[in-house]
Amino acid sequence: MELGPIWRALTRNKAGYILIALQIAVTMAIIVNAIAIIQERSRLMARPSGVDEENLFYLANVTFKKDTNIPAMVDEDLANLRAMPGVVDAIFTNSVPLRNGGWSMGLATEPGEGTESSGVAVYFVDEHGIDTFGVKLVAGRNFLPEEVDWNDPESSRWPPTGIITRAMADTLFPDEGDGVVGKTVYINDDNPVQIVGILERLQAPWNGWDGVERSMFVPLKREMSYGRYVIRTEPGQRDRVIPAVEKMLADSNRDRIIKDTRTMTETRIRSYLGDAALVKLLSFIVIVLTVITGLGIVGLASFSVSRRTRQIGTRRALGATRGAILRYFMLENFLISSVGIALGGILAVALNMWMVETFELTRIAWYLIPLAMAMLWIVGQLAVAGPARRASMVPPAVATRAI
Amino acid sequence: MLRMTKLSKVYRTDSVETHALREFSLQVDEGEFVSVTGPSGSGKTTFLNIAGLLEEFTSGSYELDGRDVAGLDDRERSKLRNEKIGFIFQNFNLIPELDIFDNVDVPLRYRGFNAAERRKRIEHVLDMVGLSSRSKHLPSQLSGGQQQRVAIARALAGEPRFLLADEPTGNLDSQMASSVMDLLHEIHGAGTTIIMVTHEANLASQSQRNIYVRDGRVSSEPGLALANAANG
Amino acid sequence: MFRYYLKLGLLGIRQNPILSGLMVAAIAIGIGACMTMVTIHYVMSGDPIPQKSDQLFYVQLDSWSPTEPADEPNEPPDQVTYLDATALLKAGNARRQVVSYRSGRVIEPAGQESRPFEIDARSTTSDFFAMFSVPFLYGSGWDASADANREQVVVLDRATNERLFGGENSVGERIVMNGDSYRVTGVLDEWLPIPKFYDLTTGEFNDPESVYFPFSVSIDKEIPGHGNTNCWKPVPDGGWQSFLNSECVWMQFWVELHGDEEVREYQAFLDAYAESQKALGRFQRPLNNRLSDVMTHLENGEVVDQSVRILLVLAVLFLVVCLLNTIGLLLAKVMRRSGDICLRRALGAPRAAVFSQYIVEAGVIGLCGGALGVLLTWLGLQGVRGLYSDLEFVKNLAQLDWVMVLTAVVLAILSALGAALYPTWQACRIHPASQLKTL
Repeated sequence: MELGPIWRALTRNKAGYILIALQIAVTMAIIVNAIAIIQERSRLMARPSGVDEENLFYLANVTFKKDTNIPAMVDEDLANLRAMPGVVDAIFTNSVPLRNGGWSMGLATEPGEGTESSGVAVYFVDEHGIDTFGVKLVAGRNFLPEEVDWNDPESSRWPPTGIITRAMADTLFPDEGDGVVGKTVYINDDNPVQIVGILERLQAPWNGWDGVERSMFVPLKREMSYGRYVIRTEPGQRDRVIPAVEKMLADSNRDRIIKDTRTMTETRIRSYLGDAALVKLLSFIVIVLTVITGLGIVGLASFSVSRRTRQIGTRRALGATRGAILRYFMLENFLISSVGIALGGILAVALNMWMVETFELTRIAWYLIPLAMAMLWIVGQLAVAGPARRASMVPPAVATRAI
Repeated sequence: MLRMTKLSKVYRTDSVETHALREFSLQVDEGEFVSVTGPSGSGKTTFLNIAGLLEEFTSGSYELDGRDVAGLDDRERSKLRNEKIGFIFQNFNLIPELDIFDNVDVPLRYRGFNAAERRKRIEHVLDMVGLSSRSKHLPSQLSGGQQQRVAIARALAGEPRFLLADEPTGNLDSQMASSVMDLLHEIHGAGTTIIMVTHEANLASQSQRNIYVRDGRVSSEPGLALANAANG
Repeated sequence: MFRYYLKLGLLGIRQNPILSGLMVAAIAIGIGACMTMVTIHYVMSGDPIPQKSDQLFYVQLDSWSPTEPADEPNEPPDQVTYLDATALLKAGNARRQVVSYRSGRVIEPAGQESRPFEIDARSTTSDFFAMFSVPFLYGSGWDASADANREQVVVLDRATNERLFGGENSVGERIVMNGDSYRVTGVLDEWLPIPKFYDLTTGEFNDPESVYFPFSVSIDKEIPGHGNTNCWKPVPDGGWQSFLNSECVWMQFWVELHGDEEVREYQAFLDAYAESQKALGRFQRPLNNRLSDVMTHLENGEVVDQSVRILLVLAVLFLVVCLLNTIGLLLAKVMRRSGDICLRRALGAPRAAVFSQYIVEAGVIGLCGGALGVLLTWLGLQGVRGLYSDLEFVKNLAQLDWVMVLTAVVLAILSALGAALYPTWQACRIHPASQLKTL
């Protein structure tokens, strides 16, 4: 109703208002970028690993005696584990998704040295791999028991079959879908591997790798002095099964150390600890910053009201209703906020461009800008509501009072 | 017409009751120029505040232009003030961050006139007080007399029935004061009812009728002011 | 005069306790947020070995595939092959040279009832301890002849010595690791380089290893590395020996050089070595060998986490918001006290006096904000520790030292003074006569 005079009055008494507008602008730049990072990290954290995380745990089996027969020990352990009540299945392998440590190889569609290959995470499993991890086979078949064998320490040959994830299949043979089953790929330059099955999803152990969805099951049991048992339990049985498994393994053979028992749930938490902490810290910053800016607005508005008490009285004497005074201060704040928000939009985009450049972050989603604008407008109006109400209570008789 | 009947105003704090007006009765007719005098603390300003609907009263009755104002809510009082009353204050009360044009514009905005109407009225009253060339100036760029003329223009812009002036020349030197008084006479001549609170006898003497207030009542004694009026 | 201004300043603070409190709070919150991140960044990017960081050089040789670099755009591999490490070691062209890699060992304590336990071990050469200035509690490292003779000797860290020998001097005692007996030559004192610069591939902020034993013994016993092993070429059949002769990189090589002259000479030596290998069919990429001193190596390794750098930027902006807030509050305060300023000016105070009075007041507020800010920083660091409580090393990063405390206070005072400049200037501009009439 009276934007013109309010604006003209603002421009004649700049400093305080410019400060608040600047504060809103910087706040908006921070908030928009913080929320963009929160979104990005949350998206990363929400990616499923593909395995039955609720019911999986694993532990390390460390052998140290020179004469330990690892294959015999592992085969016996696996037989014992699979027979335990509450256990669905178990395997001896090198790693699990999200663990941030594992084995990777390159797969090529043509044999020979220097051909272009795509990285793939390797899990050494037997025919129980699919059942134990709880992954879904969407095409082809599982390994046959006779395909799985113990490795020969002197040989670097790879088994002739493999099961890969859908993402890996699409990387190697785009647009072929389930036709990838039966194709041959090459590992170690010229070692052929026939793809016998495709998994819907199984993440690599490194969540920060851009090929995180590319994994492969290899039908091989390696003689690792530091290997892992991965155990899947009946739903709800995990926490009961863990101590039983630890005790069984520790008691059955004293020539090894059982250590680092960890559930997949814990693994996920540890794996994304940095992201989760960043999300929390940034959320905290967003909240505190909004509160501080809100308080800044309250402070400036209170000051402005007390400084203009006589003017308010005069306006009342000249016929302004309480509502008109309230509206005046709300509108004034709206104008200041708008300037700050407009500037903030520019700052937010500039900061984002710089962060994209420096930290390889993703661009902010366009809708964050109007969202943050609306939020800061609302915060501004809420913050000014108190002082504006006090202004509307100024009695008109103030106008005739001698100072 | 403005009529106050047995009007009382009591200020209460925790322990003290102050009677600012006691059974104050007064009638001002259409077209009068009335001055209100009295010693400090006599209740002059309280009278003016109540007359201008800036304050409510404790008891009695007050009719403004034939309307009983007791029990009106803020919105109605503001509307009455805006339409029927123009104020002139001792220290002008111009809004420092608004220029002259916008200052005069303030009551017209609250009146809800459209832009063309407002512009017409503002130009008219500024012309009347001889300040049309200064409409883009800020109050601080004007002399005291000029500021008070702007305040008068602002009071007149809404064409009020009553002009209430509170020591309109109190902050002005004598030359400026007389030019402001001349302006008030001109306005009165054009038909506006004027009620002026002052403590200066020679100003009171320029009015048609003087009301002397003491201890919150209209004093029955004619007082010094009227004697002077007779001389003038 | 300073004391008078101080008195006036304190009076001013008392006159407007809410406004002053808000200012102190705004500065404290800004300092708290900013210094929490600055502290973490400072610890992460600290120099782990300040007395020698410009004398120790990490060696990278580009032995990678002719078709692609080890890392984009054209980075050499971050570790070296066994072939190259042993060749450089044998050449001995630097003042000191050290090869090492991390592995795991199982210690079997002597007592019947104590169970074997696994620890992190480092296989390295005799110069390791002198080169990295590792402090000893008892004894010392082994000498070069032990490397040459593949003697089964071991250095324990303090915690392991505590665990095995109750903290007694164990030099000369024997321990059993994976079935072999080793003689203890020394026990380390507390040693916690942050970051763990000598091997960034196994966690930049992990604790150092628990035991150290000769590289030659480790190779003899075919002990694989626990860090990264990267190969651009398949390892042929033939077990351990063919792995040693492969193009896989899996160990770290450091040299100690004093002065630019020695660095230049060693660089020339590395290039000459690469040329000699080219003649044998290896090193098919253009010459791209690196000698990085400690700080450069840490920078290349991007030791400071990206999240920390993002948070640092946002925390600095956070401080900016708090300062804008403070400037606004100070301005309000000056406006509110303009009458007082006019009166003082009218009584003969020069501009400089008004300026001094308000600057001193701002300084006091900054000091209070700084003190409170240090407290908030400490709380912030506790919060960060809480968030990362599953990562043991974070407790080493989220630590406040006196440098940071001092930085916080100085930053707070500077911030407050900086924020006070504009409002104080405004105060000085107030005309002596402007407000007196309406006082």
